[in-house]
Amino acid sequence: MNVRSFTAMLCVLTAPALAQAPTDPHAAGRAVYVKWCAPCHDPGITHPGTNALTVKYKGVKPGVLLEWKDLPASAVKVLVRHGISVMPQFRKTEISDSELDALAQYLSRNSPPG
Amino acid sequence: MMLPPGVKQSDFSSALAEFAKAVGGEWVFTSDEDLNLYRDAYSPFLHEAEERVASAAVAPASTEEVQQIVRTANRYGVPLYAISTGKNLGYGGSAPAMSGCVVVDLKRMNRIIEVNEANAFALVEPGVSYFDLYHHIRERKLKVWIDCPDPGWGSVVGNAIDRGGGYTSANYRNHFDSHCGMEVVLPNGELLRTGMGAIPNAKTWQQYKSGCGPWIDGIFSQSNFGIVTKMGFWLMPEPEAYLRCTVTVPRYNDLMPLVETLNYLENARITSGFPDLASPLNGYPPTGQVQLWNESGPPQQTPEHRRVLAGAKVGFSPELEAYGIKSGIPYWELWLSFHGPMEVIDAQWRAAQRRFSTIGGVKFRVVDRMSLPFDPSKTEDYHEPEFGIPSLRAFSIGARTPWNPTPSKGHMWFSPIIPRTGEAIIEANRVFAEAARDLGMPLFRSFAMPACFWERSFIFILATPVTEDPATNKQYRDGFQKLIEVGGQHGWGEYRTAPVFQKSVMDVYSFNNHALQRFHETLKDAIDPNGILSPGRYAIWPKHLRGSQS
Repeated sequence: MNVRSFTAMLCVLTAPALAQAPTDPHAAGRAVYVKWCAPCHDPGITHPGTNALTVKYKGVKPGVLLEWKDLPASAVKVLVRHGISVMPQFRKTEISDSELDALAQYLSRNSPPG
Repeated sequence: MMLPPGVKQSDFSSALAEFAKAVGGEWVFTSDEDLNLYRDAYSPFLHEAEERVASAAVAPASTEEVQQIVRTANRYGVPLYAISTGKNLGYGGSAPAMSGCVVVDLKRMNRIIEVNEANAFALVEPGVSYFDLYHHIRERKLKVWIDCPDPGWGSVVGNAIDRGGGYTSANYRNHFDSHCGMEVVLPNGELLRTGMGAIPNAKTWQQYKSGCGPWIDGIFSQSNFGIVTKMGFWLMPEPEAYLRCTVTVPRYNDLMPLVETLNYLENARITSGFPDLASPLNGYPPTGQVQLWNESGPPQQTPEHRRVLAGAKVGFSPELEAYGIKSGIPYWELWLSFHGPMEVIDAQWRAAQRRFSTIGGVKFRVVDRMSLPFDPSKTEDYHEPEFGIPSLRAFSIGARTPWNPTPSKGHMWFSPIIPRTGEAIIEANRVFAEAARDLGMPLFRSFAMPACFWERSFIFILATPVTEDPATNKQYRDGFQKLIEVGGQHGWGEYRTAPVFQKSVMDVYSFNNHALQRFHETLKDAIDPNGILSPGRYAIWPKHLRGSQS
């Protein structure tokens, strides 16, 4: 476990006790999405990933990744580590395994387990 | 496990163990699964044996760890290849120039050490991306702009030492020129600071570039003489206002005075924003609007326009020119932008119009006149990097869009530098269009306009697709090599290129029996006698690999 993931886990473990605030189970995954995915996959014409998915799926699936309801966590991990089309793969120094777990959980939150 | 060339398994294992001791075992990568992450996602040798791949990767978090890695590599003769964020896609990505190198991945060195608003400079590590620096500045409400290239996830340091460019004011668009001071781990592990940084407890490292004595910063760009671990940059004070205008002219031969006048205005600093040339009549967009065309489609042309365009040669026919004049479609369009106090930029625009008004039929239009800061919610209609705002919109190039139903796997950039004249634009189009047609390359099919990143010269930035089909990739690679040679025959050279083309490009720089290349090799032998640092980068090979690899 690297220092960053240990720190993140420590925060998850200790934050509720300290703040007594409702926890967001997807906060870590959302943070990874915002940093690494949003510039291409957020809603709107200025996002080339969203445009590409809109054209590819022709309305069968949403162009916006966050709206997918059949995106297994396993598929997220494969796509991030292998890339597709002009999207490159991401290294572990960019998105660590624990961050990828969190991202996959976040993006698959509306999908059946698979 | 792949071994670096000429390295024994036992030595390699010992080196990896020492790397792990230096950085922690979790930051040394040796499995096939992990090393696949270090492949060049846009490699022109995709899925072919010649693709350059790493034997291992190591990710230090500090300058001291980089020094330990370099010293270990010297002890065991293990070649290293340093990357910053590994995102210079189209120019090599995260892969080494020679298969078997251990990639030194500097992404974890991501500290923004200082952003000084009062004197507008920053000091950063190589893992800092343009997004990182931009958000750091915005969160602190500092009134300075960065200058970024199109892909915002690139390294501020890496892009500068790869000599990339951006879109704001002329003083900042050349990213290497706008740097001030470096910290470098030399190939023997020793630490060097350049410029004023060579003074212990320096007070002006990011404020005076050259220090005293030979100014050596340039040798650490596009080279393999050191690993840059810190780098300073001058930033642009946030301008008060922004003015964007167009100058359009109706005739083919108007291109020459249009460019000549632009050069005067830019060299005299009457305009300093990114100048952008287009040819509406030839259907070629300004560089900054390529992404808008990719997203929303190019302007529609009438059947008559398409017909006369098809009959044009090197972007010209009398019929095309007559059609443009009749239809009110300009032959050439120059976009100018100005940053500064409103009363200053209004006056600059008036002076610019006076200069251009000697061209018959010239027309002027104010497109935007606004106070700054720019409202980030209004970015859709703008090319964000022209406001120092990083994005990833440029990846609409090659991605699937309504106008590009067949996405590519990536691209390689053909990017020759040519003179800043209208005549050179036409000559380069004639030469490259002819060569590209003969080679079956999807470049210069009609008429292409160069970009104005640099002062005093033009640059073409043209994407050649990388596909999933090895035969097509081979055709494009061979064609790319030939275009480099053709450019060289006309006195033009690339400004930057991917590792697979670096030898061909450097072969063009052959004055006096390759004196420049031989000087690079002299430096390499003196600075890096064991040849452990980034062998082959920009065709600079250490003595023991010279000939066998090159």
